[in-house]
Amino acid sequence: MNLFTQAVISGLMIGAVYAFLGIGLVLVYRTARILNLAHGETFAITGVAAALLVKAGLPLLPALGLSLAIALGFALSLHRFVLRPRADWPAGTLILITLGAAFVVRGVLILAAGTDPVSFPALFTGVPLRIAGGVIPPQGIALVVLGFGVSAAVGLYLSRTRSGKQLLAAAENPYAAELAGVNVERARLTAYGIGAILGGLAGVLLIPLIAVDFQSGLAMTMRGFIAAAISGMSPVGVLFSGIGLGLFESMVGAYLGALYQDPVMFFLLILVALWQSRHIRFGGTRRA
Amino acid sequence: MKRTLLFVALSAALGTFTCAHAQTGKPIFIGEVAPLTGPAATVGTRLNKASKMWADETNAKGGINGRKIELVTCNDEGRPDKAAACLRDFQEKGAVMIFGNSLTASLRAMQPLVKNGPLLLIPSPNVVPPADSYAFQVSPSDLHLTEAIAKYMKENRLDKLGMVAATDASGEVGVESAKKVFSDQKMELRLARIDLRATDASTQLASVAGQDVKLVYSSYTGAGAVTVVKSFKILGLPQPLMVSYGNMSEAFVSLIKDVAPPRLLGTSVAGLVPEEMPKGADRERARAFLDGYAKRYNEKADMINLLGRAETDVAEAVLRKVSNPSDSAAAKKFLESTPIESFHTQKFSPTNHVGLDASSVMIVELKDGNWIKAQPISGR
Repeated sequence: MNLFTQAVISGLMIGAVYAFLGIGLVLVYRTARILNLAHGETFAITGVAAALLVKAGLPLLPALGLSLAIALGFALSLHRFVLRPRADWPAGTLILITLGAAFVVRGVLILAAGTDPVSFPALFTGVPLRIAGGVIPPQGIALVVLGFGVSAAVGLYLSRTRSGKQLLAAAENPYAAELAGVNVERARLTAYGIGAILGGLAGVLLIPLIAVDFQSGLAMTMRGFIAAAISGMSPVGVLFSGIGLGLFESMVGAYLGALYQDPVMFFLLILVALWQSRHIRFGGTRRA
Repeated sequence: MKRTLLFVALSAALGTFTCAHAQTGKPIFIGEVAPLTGPAATVGTRLNKASKMWADETNAKGGINGRKIELVTCNDEGRPDKAAACLRDFQEKGAVMIFGNSLTASLRAMQPLVKNGPLLLIPSPNVVPPADSYAFQVSPSDLHLTEAIAKYMKENRLDKLGMVAATDASGEVGVESAKKVFSDQKMELRLARIDLRATDASTQLASVAGQDVKLVYSSYTGAGAVTVVKSFKILGLPQPLMVSYGNMSEAFVSLIKDVAPPRLLGTSVAGLVPEEMPKGADRERARAFLDGYAKRYNEKADMINLLGRAETDVAEAVLRKVSNPSDSAAAKKFLESTPIESFHTQKFSPTNHVGLDASSVMIVELKDGNWIKAQPISGR
């Protein structure tokens, strides 16, 4: 077995998860100006719900579809019934509310599934692919292809299409956007919806390779946040920061050891933050 | 004078009655610090189930010496600061003893706080209490578990082990034990650490599981252990994979049953496989607990539940045999001088507060969903 090849494969899989989670966070941030700390809960809700439904005897595909719908319902409800009525509250308070929502979800998941991790079968099965001394399972290939593919598609949608640009305009200046005929509320709901589907898809593709429990959500939010922050909250950049982070994390783990992963990663995050804030620190008006 | 004497006699009689009533009627307050939520919840809830089962069974039989058990659980969420606060609260409320049913970091925070009592019983293998403390460990230590792995390897003429350990405090303890034991035994240890947030363990496994390594050991517990098993299967590694004893649970088995490697081994106390226990009485005790637990909770008891029972057996012995269990010094002296019968006899001494040793550890193997004594490793 070739350690380098395996580290690259592992890095791509980790990177795909970063991209999946990061793009959802960026999307909500760019349309509603809220850092949604409950974003990773869509991953946990989908995973736990799918595991319970499969255990209850539902076939895999309907179980996954239903679980994604539950995650979608959660994200849309969070916006429609919790955040929107408080839209004039300070952003910091709203962020804390999303953190509170994340803890509520944790509690509900404990009640539903207990504290033990759960999982469900892979959607893509078959013999793992062996390339240049490395191994990747079919589900891993799907994770990488869909992770980067869907994230790229969302990035292109936001930056190249009319409705995507309307979504971004809704965040930059909601009043001006409304005057220009953009339905700001619908734009925000769309952002929460796409984010939830992406978070849920990450769960559908990753959880069969690992396991999920009630506390997986915040860890996933953190992953998404690191990728999003390094990209400067850019819907296109998050794809590249996801790939970079995944490969970087995997290489550090393989050649320096996992004990160095967090210090190196967070040092990198600080360096990037300093680089991105150079205009603010040294004068100017450019926003990160 | 007669009146005074009568008054004194009546007062004395009334006083004696009141004292006796208090002695027999007042519940025995036992504090339990356990992570019922948070990352270690899977351990805390399992130990809590065993404690509750013991308290309910004992109370149903009328308590101990006429006194009911009052078990109060404080959820430390696996946080050392909260564990210390829970313990101080129990001390202030006069707990007779404390069940330290949390993980390494919390136990390390609690242990220095019981310098003058009460007894702190610890089912974790990762914290070895000093002999001058009031803490007693009812599990074989991590060093004992590692010695048992080395013994099994020796029996199978293996001299190299690939090991994956987490980057948390428990993983650190496992690494220290492994470095010591395998260096003493002149065996080669190939070690890779894995981050607690890891979603893939293939890189770690690729770096430790060369063709010359015939056994791979993962000291990881919980969701991370599942990640290691699944990555192991994906890589198609031919070696047997050994998992740590925190994973000897039905929940873990049901999660990995479709992705288990060709041979899945584990470290365990022998009580998990009663039919392999040499002493009939030990076998019966283990079987009685396993059956009772399955009946009460409608699930198979696991390693962690068993250690919970070992803890309550030690607690019960103290409560029954020490005339004043609130006297921590007397309780400590009793434990240091009396072997305690459980499914494995716990033997503490004034110089050793670990009740079990490597002889109580068994290397087990998963066969048809059940843990049995591990078969030899072939294909050397």
